[in-house]
Amino acid sequence: MIEFKEVSKTYPGSEEPVVKDLSFEIPEGEICVLVGPSGCGKTTTMRMVNRLVEITSGDIEIEGESIAAKSATELRRKIGYAIQGIGLFPHRTIAENVATVPKLLDWSKDRTRERVDELLELVGLDAGQYRGRYPAELSGGQQQRVGVARAMAADPPIMLMDEPFGAVDPITRTRLQEEFLNIQQNIKKTIVFVTHDIDEAIKMGDRIAILQQGGVLAQYDTPARILSEPATDFVASFVGTDRVLKNLSLTRVKDVRLEPLDGAGNGLPRISENLSLKDALSELIGSGTDRGVVYPDESPNGNDARGVITLDGIRKMSRGVAGE
Amino acid sequence: MNNGFAIEEEGQPFIDWAWILRHFWGDGGIVDAFFQHLYLSLVPVAVALAISLPVGIFVHRKRWLYAPTTALTGVLYTIPSLAFFVMLIPIMGTGQRPVLVALTAYSLLILIRNTVTGLDSVPEETKDAARGMGLTNRQILLGVEIPLALPVIVAGIRIATVTVVGIASIADFIGAGGLGDLIFDGIGRQFATPIIVGGGLVALIAICADLGLYRIEGWLRPWARRAGKAA
Ligand SMILES: Nc1ncnc2c1ncn2[C@@H]1O[C@H](COP(=O)(O)OP(=O)(O)O)[C@@H](O)[C@H]1O
Ligand SMILES: [Mg+2]
Repeated sequence: MIEFKEVSKTYPGSEEPVVKDLSFEIPEGEICVLVGPSGCGKTTTMRMVNRLVEITSGDIEIEGESIAAKSATELRRKIGYAIQGIGLFPHRTIAENVATVPKLLDWSKDRTRERVDELLELVGLDAGQYRGRYPAELSGGQQQRVGVARAMAADPPIMLMDEPFGAVDPITRTRLQEEFLNIQQNIKKTIVFVTHDIDEAIKMGDRIAILQQGGVLAQYDTPARILSEPATDFVASFVGTDRVLKNLSLTRVKDVRLEPLDGAGNGLPRISENLSLKDALSELIGSGTDRGVVYPDESPNGNDARGVITLDGIRKMSRGVAGE
Repeated sequence: MNNGFAIEEEGQPFIDWAWILRHFWGDGGIVDAFFQHLYLSLVPVAVALAISLPVGIFVHRKRWLYAPTTALTGVLYTIPSLAFFVMLIPIMGTGQRPVLVALTAYSLLILIRNTVTGLDSVPEETKDAARGMGLTNRQILLGVEIPLALPVIVAGIRIATVTVVGIASIADFIGAGGLGDLIFDGIGRQFATPIIVGGGLVALIAICADLGLYRIEGWLRPWARRAGKAA
């Protein structure tokens, strides 16, 4: 668990704090996304956790221990660190890059090598092919994968990630996001994840901390609650006027109560139970009907329909989730 | 053709092999002058490098020192070499010492500038990632900054060496010896062979140093070489 206790930061030579009285807790094993407009202090907030930025007042505790208790280098070796510019060492091979922290921690050669290969496979890179390459020989997306692998190398309980999927095209970003969420399901790290993109925040976050100009915490909540109950006008406008649709995108068809299928359902659109409510809504509107038959993915042509989803039902649910 | 170099007219062969053989070994001979010349040029570069690395690293950290440092070394660099030698005679007398000092001063500008440029070229996020993973300042300097700056520093050594090898040719004006000894001897006697031998060997040293250091530069950046090939 990471605990921010009235943390403030004022950079030298400036009057105004860029982070102001920040207090919140990040529970163990969750992804906390720091999101907000550019310059609102997200990066500063994240970098105070591993003391790359010195706290002006207040304290941050990890597992109940102040981050000031140990030396900065010792602290940092237990916290994974991945940044937007990736920061791979251009003069070191991929394997050497990933092995940076294990080497600092004096791991044996065999253990390091095994771990490097394991991690490269985990982030979807063939170890045999990429181990000996230099970063310049990899694509941007592959470099980001290596950056994430390097941050996880010594299996730190905490990871800091500053726009780690920032520098790639949208398709690659979506894939990296999904792969990382899959990995996180198994490794259950406590993660501070910085982004300026509210959609990425909603997708990646177990919790979202929305910061506004001046480093003030506007709302700290789950994505669903941020979308359904924005605490301030700032939050409402930051999440966007499509927040109802965004909220529908958080729920899958299979997770809602469906109406029973009466009759054959002939002529109705077929909807996969793995679609989000937002996509189901789009399908229904697109097909010009107000109801669709829901099937499991495995048997799209079988007869084991799960039920019927209706525009009315989605509307009711969106009211439910939007809390209106 | 009568410009003081009317060598052919005096009936000499273009290269007098017998003279070369007679003056090959021994005091003030070709081999002697060759090694003197190497000494006169390599010692200043080595000394300048030993000064420039720490100074360059320090100046890179304390940015405000950069302008005054380059201004000072820049002024030294603009002093014509012969004038520089002569200026130092009252302090150090004639011979090799003023030459070594002057040539070291010339190398300083090039090497300090290249050290700072090399360190500047290390991407900020690479250093940030290193610090964030828990490398100490020393580990970042030795393991990240210097290796990445080294090719640029070696490029500086290359320029300094070639420059100094050339300037060392006039060191004999104040009695420091070197291949200039042969060249001036030949000019004085209007005799081509020592000029050709001396000049040729100066060029040979410069070219060898240039190519050798160029190879080292490339060898120090395997990542760039490989990436270039892949692209
Ligand atoms: N090292 C620094 N020195 C002085 N001001 C800084 C420094 N780093 C960031 N700032 C300022 O602090 C504010 C917040 O920056 P940052 O935390 O990077 O915001 P974000 O990551 O949300 O875009 C900005 O106004 C920025 O100019
Ligand atoms: Mg930022």
